Amino acid sequence: MQEYLLEFEQVYYTYPGSERLQPPALNGLTMKIPSGKKCALIGQNGCGKTTLFLLANGLYKPNSGIVSWCGKPLIYNRHYLSKIRQKVGLVFQDPEQQLVASTVEEDISYGLCNLGLPETEIKQRVEQALIEFGLTNLAETPVHHLSLGQKKRVSIADVMVLHPELLVLDEPTSYLDIKHTRNLMKTLKEIHQNGNTLLIATHDLDLVYRWADWVFVMDKGQLMLEGTPEDVFSQKTLLEELELGIPLILC
Amino acid sequence: MSLQLDTLAYTNQLRKLPPEHKLIFAFTTLIISLCSHALVQILIALWMTVWIVIYARIPAGVYWRLLMVTIVFCLTSLPALMVNGVAIANLPIVQLDSWYGLTFGQFYIYISRSGSIQAWGILTRALASTSCLYFLVLTVPFTEILQTLRWLKFPALLTDLLLLMYRFIFILLKTANELLTAQNSRGGYSTWHTSMKSLALLIGQLLQRTLQQYSQFSLGLQARGFAGELRFWHPRRYHSSPRYTVEAICGCVVLIGLEICRNAGIFTRI
Repeated sequence: MQEYLLEFEQVYYTYPGSERLQPPALNGLTMKIPSGKKCALIGQNGCGKTTLFLLANGLYKPNSGIVSWCGKPLIYNRHYLSKIRQKVGLVFQDPEQQLVASTVEEDISYGLCNLGLPETEIKQRVEQALIEFGLTNLAETPVHHLSLGQKKRVSIADVMVLHPELLVLDEPTSYLDIKHTRNLMKTLKEIHQNGNTLLIATHDLDLVYRWADWVFVMDKGQLMLEGTPEDVFSQKTLLEELELGIPLILC
Repeated sequence: MSLQLDTLAYTNQLRKLPPEHKLIFAFTTLIISLCSHALVQILIALWMTVWIVIYARIPAGVYWRLLMVTIVFCLTSLPALMVNGVAIANLPIVQLDSWYGLTFGQFYIYISRSGSIQAWGILTRALASTSCLYFLVLTVPFTEILQTLRWLKFPALLTDLLLLMYRFIFILLKTANELLTAQNSRGGYSTWHTSMKSLALLIGQLLQRTLQQYSQFSLGLQARGFAGELRFWHPRRYHSSPRYTVEAICGCVVLIGLEICRNAGIFTRI
């Protein structure tokens, strides 16, 4: 098994048209995502977390630098990218952005249909996903009738049904109340136990402290710090300088 | 209102019937109502009310309000057909057609016989055909109409466009609502002047936000492996009901029979 699933090496990315206005969104980022771990990514708003995720999924191409999967650089052609997008499952912050079809079960089937799987397998995998994510009685509900927590659950099911090796979630707990956050974390725990690698971006430091095995700290498009939660949160002065703070438990 | 109709379509008692049955039924009755006369049309409107209110259990109030839309719309346009006016000098020409008339100076205003017959025909036809379409709208969710279109081998481009429009209507409504609430909470509609200003801002912002939503949506599509066509898998969990099928077929046969008898002149001779 590969030690690192996804690697970023000296990656620079600037949004087209904003060259003169802002510094690059990713400014020479080097980062390796260890396989089989629960990783968390913290950093202020606008530090480049979402950009990083879009690059991880091959949606954006770096201006310079290399993004590689299992040691091999990404190739930006349609065929290869569709394979990468199956292996790296990306859950957007706003579920509205991701839901395509009009009912829950149709939406879950969308990614599978894109893979061109036979109908019997699609049926079986959709039904399994509905059970796993507790969506069975919402199967025929139109997506615009769902609550935000339910939409979030559907958007994770959408991605998990493709059996990705790395699941990337952009601020999964924003918009969610405590109950739904707990349910979500339980689901993520199960996903991890099935052998997936997870990477979440979040502002909830207590959650990071309790949940993560490995923590990345980003600032201004660069990786500032990485390590186990204990190591990272022991560097109080650096975290204060970055205005990130530390979990309440450690205060 | 559109959201309420949408909810009803997903929750009515006829949901489990195969959508193509309901589509065929609605279009058959629609064609009959377009080709037939007042008696048959009134019967169709009544029969459809039974289907909608009793079989599908759509609240009568909702259905009544929908029908009122049609009726009010007709009532505002029918007087133009019924009421005619001519100069006094031409009175003899329209004498036969006049049902009841009044003289105003140089003009004779009257209710026309042929116009009234025409208006009555339009009213019954409008009621019958809208009740058929309401049956379709209230009992078949839009997604199932799309599925049936795909099943009938409609071009994928057309069904994809319809699907995206349907999704975007709700995103657009939500965005507009959010903006409106935000403006209201900051007193954006307190006076006529600020209302106009806020409305202009709302419309401009709506365009901008829609474009933004669109670019995010296309990223979302790509991340999920968009391959040039929107394809989904549909489970079929419908049960055709012999009872409803028999009623629908018998009813249509009776209506067509009635219309043929009428045309053959049996009723008028007796």
